[in-house]
Amino acid sequence: MDSFRQEKVQRYEEFVDKRLKPDLVKAIAERDKVFEQQKTFSDLRRNIENLEKNSVTSLRTMVNLGSEVYMQADVPDTQRIFVDIGLGFHVEFTWSEALNFISLREEKLARQIEEYTRLIASIKAHIKLVCEGIRELLQLPADGSLKGPVF
Amino acid sequence: MEEAAKKGRVTPLASLFPVEEAQKAVRRVHETLSEKEAELDQFRGFISDNTNLINLVQKLPEGLHHNIMVPFGKAAFFPGRLIHTNEFLVLLGEGYHVERTSKQTVEILKRRGKALESQFESLKATMQDLKAEASFFGITASEAAEGLVEIREDYVEENFTERESQSGPPKEHPPSFSEADKVKVAVEDEEYSRMMSRLDELEKAELEAEYGNERHEDIENVAVSDEEYARMMSRLDELEKEELEAEFVNGRDEDNAKLSVNDEEYAHMIARLDEIEKKPETERGNERDEDEKIKADFDRSSDQTSLGKINRFSESRKLLERTKDKKSATEETLSKRDTQKDLTGQLNCTGLTVQSRPKEEMSHGKGLVQSIMKSTSLEKALVLPEVKENVQAASSSRSEVSRNSGPTNPGIAQALGKEFPTSAPRAPLQDSKPGFDSRKAFTGSIIERAHNIHTSSSQQAATSSQSTGSQPSKPVSRFKMQRR
Repeated sequence: MDSFRQEKVQRYEEFVDKRLKPDLVKAIAERDKVFEQQKTFSDLRRNIENLEKNSVTSLRTMVNLGSEVYMQADVPDTQRIFVDIGLGFHVEFTWSEALNFISLREEKLARQIEEYTRLIASIKAHIKLVCEGIRELLQLPADGSLKGPVF
Repeated sequence: MEEAAKKGRVTPLASLFPVEEAQKAVRRVHETLSEKEAELDQFRGFISDNTNLINLVQKLPEGLHHNIMVPFGKAAFFPGRLIHTNEFLVLLGEGYHVERTSKQTVEILKRRGKALESQFESLKATMQDLKAEASFFGITASEAAEGLVEIREDYVEENFTERESQSGPPKEHPPSFSEADKVKVAVEDEEYSRMMSRLDELEKAELEAEYGNERHEDIENVAVSDEEYARMMSRLDELEKEELEAEFVNGRDEDNAKLSVNDEEYAHMIARLDEIEKKPETERGNERDEDEKIKADFDRSSDQTSLGKINRFSESRKLLERTKDKKSATEETLSKRDTQKDLTGQLNCTGLTVQSRPKEEMSHGKGLVQSIMKSTSLEKALVLPEVKENVQAASSSRSEVSRNSGPTNPGIAQALGKEFPTSAPRAPLQDSKPGFDSRKAFTGSIIERAHNIHTSSSQQAATSSQSTGSQPSKPVSRFKMQRR
């Protein structure tokens, strides 16, 4: 009986370590990516709102040429902005259009994040379940041994 | 062989480098190796980036402005222009930036490139070391898995006599047993008996194969050899009887020295008999002359103690046993008994002496042959007593023989008697004869006989005895020749 139990425990542990935990790690990584995207877009939105607020028409900025070597760059007209809509495309937007797009984009990202969160939660629940099973298997003999010294 | 093993230390490589650990080490090294390779790739990327940047920095000052897409965050661009194309802000590290011209930036970048390259080279060297380590671990693991063994032996000059005595037993003809070997007999007995038993097994197998082939062919020879065999057996019985009588007269404890001496004489006699055996049967006349010579030898009671002679005696005895075995099924079954084998040995002893008197006992021999041939008893012991009775009832020649062999017989009798706790009556004598061959009386022959006993106890006696007889087969017995 003990060996049978131990074998089961071992199987459960293996399942947890080899399937559930890596799945969890992957899900979390995907969610983090989406988080970053979301952050990017929110930053962009903030910037555009700022520009609109201050009616900034031209811009002087530093461009990274590579390896942290910067060069001065000048933006004469800030009205037109090219936004990355995915799949390597950049669409020319006005500010309001850009903001519109960004809000849509943010919604989409939020939904993705929620999905990932649910997935992560389910994986975590699985892990917990298996751990509980292992604990049950181990606790019964543990209980027996505990009772021994008590009496 | 044992001694060699004792001298040396055999250490399997697996014990020094456990197989699993070696394999784990191999894996670890491989992992580190892959990590280093990733770093190496990174470095290569850095270096290529640097080179590209140098090119770019060199190219930019060629124009006043450059139209570019200016990134705005990570997801948006602004169309714009690069201005101040000769001014570069370079990060030196730790939050320090410098404004540099194109040329100066290029110099900075080149210095950076050199630093990168030196790091790259050092990483490469580390990787080489790791590769060598991995290969070593891999070889060790494979060797350990194969079971490669490291043998260390201290260089010790072997004891000459030991080697000699060790080499003696395995040889088929140990006529070269020396005095020293005798001393070591006690030590060597075990080993020797082991080896002899092994040889016996092999020879028995051979003989059994022979059996099937030769059984049909040798009936005539068998008849003839029966004759001689019967003679020898009767002679042996005689000698044994006399020895027993002598033993009870003299007491057993005095006999050790005498035994060895008598053994020597006996062996000598047997050796001569062996020589005789080599002659064809037709030359029995000559044998008669030789027999007288042997008689003289007997009387001389020579002091030669070569175990080889004793061995030869046992050899011829075994040969006789062999011939006996080939005679009939009954004899085969007889030979299966341990006691029988020993009995045969004893009989052969006497039989050989009998052989020295072929003419005198020929008539008896024939009668004996008939008795033997007719005997269907499974017990050779039963046959032997018959033979013995016939022999005893025989002529004075026999008694003559017994008298002549008197000087040696008492010793033999003592030897025989020593083996027998009770041997006054004939029948018990027969039964207790097996005890004769047990280890005690003859140092040299003990080896043979004890060995015979050991082997016979484990296997069929006759064949094993025959096999032992076949070992010292140099003095080819008459019977052997007849058989072949």
